[in-house]
Amino acid sequence: MLRALRITSWPLTVKVPLLVAGLMVAIAVAISQIVLSRLARDQEANLRLLSNAYLDGLSAAVLPAVIRSDVWETFDALDRARGRYSGVKVRYAFVELPDETVLAASDPLRFPVMKPVPATLRQEFPKDGGLAIDEASGRAWLTRTLRTEGFSVGRIHAEIDIADLLRVRHQVLWTLLLANGGLTLAFALIGYFAVKHMLQPLSVLTRYVERVRDGRLEPIPQRYSRNVASEFGQLFERFNAMARTLSERETLATRLAEQEKYAMLGRLASGMAHEVNNPLGGMLNAIDTIHAHGNDPAVVQTSLEFLKRGLAGIRNVVRAALVTYKGGSDAVLTPAELDDLPFLVQHETGVRRLQLEWRNRVEEPLAIDGPTVRQIVLNLLLNACAASPVAGTVEVEAAPADGRLRIAVSDEGAGLPAELAALLEQPDAPAPSRDSKGLGLWTTAHLVQRLGGCVAVERPMTGTRIVVTLPVARAKEATRDAA
Amino acid sequence: MPAIGRSGPARGDVITRRNVLLGLGAAAAVRPTSASAAETFSFGLTPLFLDNDIELLTLLERYLGQRLGRPVALVKRRTYHEISAMLLSNQLDAAWICDDPYVQYRNQLTLLAVPLYHHRPLYQTYVIVNEASRAQVFDDIRGTVHAFSDPDSTSGYLITRWLLALRHTTPAQFFREFFFTYGHRNVLRAVGSGLAESGSIDGYVWDVMREREPDLVGKTRIIYRSEWLGFPPMVAPNALANEPAVKAFAAALLDAASDPLGRQILDILALDGFTTGTPEMYQSTLDKWLVVKAQV
Repeated sequence: MLRALRITSWPLTVKVPLLVAGLMVAIAVAISQIVLSRLARDQEANLRLLSNAYLDGLSAAVLPAVIRSDVWETFDALDRARGRYSGVKVRYAFVELPDETVLAASDPLRFPVMKPVPATLRQEFPKDGGLAIDEASGRAWLTRTLRTEGFSVGRIHAEIDIADLLRVRHQVLWTLLLANGGLTLAFALIGYFAVKHMLQPLSVLTRYVERVRDGRLEPIPQRYSRNVASEFGQLFERFNAMARTLSERETLATRLAEQEKYAMLGRLASGMAHEVNNPLGGMLNAIDTIHAHGNDPAVVQTSLEFLKRGLAGIRNVVRAALVTYKGGSDAVLTPAELDDLPFLVQHETGVRRLQLEWRNRVEEPLAIDGPTVRQIVLNLLLNACAASPVAGTVEVEAAPADGRLRIAVSDEGAGLPAELAALLEQPDAPAPSRDSKGLGLWTTAHLVQRLGGCVAVERPMTGTRIVVTLPVARAKEATRDAA
Repeated sequence: MPAIGRSGPARGDVITRRNVLLGLGAAAAVRPTSASAAETFSFGLTPLFLDNDIELLTLLERYLGQRLGRPVALVKRRTYHEISAMLLSNQLDAAWICDDPYVQYRNQLTLLAVPLYHHRPLYQTYVIVNEASRAQVFDDIRGTVHAFSDPDSTSGYLITRWLLALRHTTPAQFFREFFFTYGHRNVLRAVGSGLAESGSIDGYVWDVMREREPDLVGKTRIIYRSEWLGFPPMVAPNALANEPAVKAFAAALLDAASDPLGRQILDILALDGFTTGTPEMYQSTLDKWLVVKAQV
């Protein structure tokens, strides 16, 4: 709400037209001011010229009559002058004698012959002659002293109606207001639509950025970049370059994870060969024993039991390897799929005499990408075995809780170096080089991120505990998918 | 419609170029006695109400020119006195003057014709006030601003002056202010506009103007009508009265009612024709002039 009130947060489509309108208003005000003051000045100069012409003509006409104090001739001149001077709208005019009485007036009823000039009116007229303008009442007053041979014989006073001039000024003002208002509105609208049109590429960009957030990395199609401003063209190009890079990185990460899987399998294969080979010696001995003492049912029974155990061990190892290699069901993780994993690290634990504490609390199929979870746990488990000292303990605990699957892998090693921990906790960091130690951890982090989970590296008293939390879809769907 | 009282400068305008030249000649006071047939006939006009009616003056000039067989100059002056002076110094062959100057100079002037107004050679003087005035009778206009027409006008001055003389007073005492407008139409304008609260005017002019300029006349109201007086006459100086041109001029006037052009002129003037007058018709004017003269 407050944000909407802040001008800086307003959209450009509003700000630019407002700015245009504001500038237009400022210009209009300034121009109107100039025009009106110029008009007023010109009108006043014009009025002065016209009123002087009027007074010149009238003075010449009345002077002989005023010298003779001829009431009729003075009136006749005033009366005839009325309406004869275009541009000067005389309301009344009168001639005042030096004794301050009216000799004659164009409006004799208001200014009777030989009566004093009303005092209230006298102060309206300019004392030194000339023109006095009162815009409020729309009137102007003129005074001209009539002189002959240097002596004043009387004064002409006239009141002029300047309402027409003021009306012209008002008309000009309204014309300016309407014209400028119309132009301002028009420019604001043009500004609005122009900016809206100009910013259209931005909405395209926004749409594609939104898609990135939804995990769809699509470049902006060429058709959008055709008719856009060069700035947006560059922006689109950069966005597309970024999308390409991201897409390549994604592909690379997938390929790396794949390669890591095979590398791990390769590594496992040697261990598995060992695991398979170990019972093979014993089993061949058992067969030899059966050959030699085939008549002794007890020996045969014991040897067959031995063979059976040996084959079962081999089967477990081979089956686990197959699941890892081929991949199981994509959508479901069964408890058994996790329980296979200790067979795969048998070699690692056996060689180093490690104690593996395996606590799988998953009791029913979970709606989660099983093979990926297996790869994550196997990676961490191998890492923990490698980090553990000889005869150390490695703990694995997998437990579903609140729609999540929490997997904790602990070792008693020297502790995970910070740069490797960072690889786990920051999956967006660039992939380390292929021969570096961190590739397995980086791949793990990337897999966790792909499942929408997160990794936390904890440092208990001894060793390291890596906790992976993964989201699980609802059990019902998982059951259906599992079925 | 003929426009008798059309507004314009109330000066002694000379209407045509010929008249201008003649007027200048007249002003030089060197004009010899009228003699040859080719010589211009000078006819003086006092500013009655036909101050500046171009149409009337053009028709009059044409009609008289036809009848006299020679060019006719219509001479106008601002005051009655100027026309009287020109007439008495034989600068004019004839003139239409007010009855007041006629009775003043009756021994030097010969009556040629008298207009017939409503079929009688008579007219009245009116004293008028502005329509807004409360005055009802002559005595009510005491203390007002009064507009006279001309000091030599019977209706525009003499009658009012006579009424004041009867009251043993003068205009300066009776009125707050008074002035001369040198034209009956101007008296109407002065009283109508309120410049003057009262005025003295020719009754014939007021009546004719009421029909022709009702707006102007409507702003005035009559509060006094004089007795019937002899209508302002056409006269010639005694010295020229027997000149053929002057006789032809008198005949043209007396025949005007039976001539189409003359009829047109009479229509504009709102007159019925002309008659031969007698000095006795002006006795009443003379009596009043004598009363006023006695007071002065």
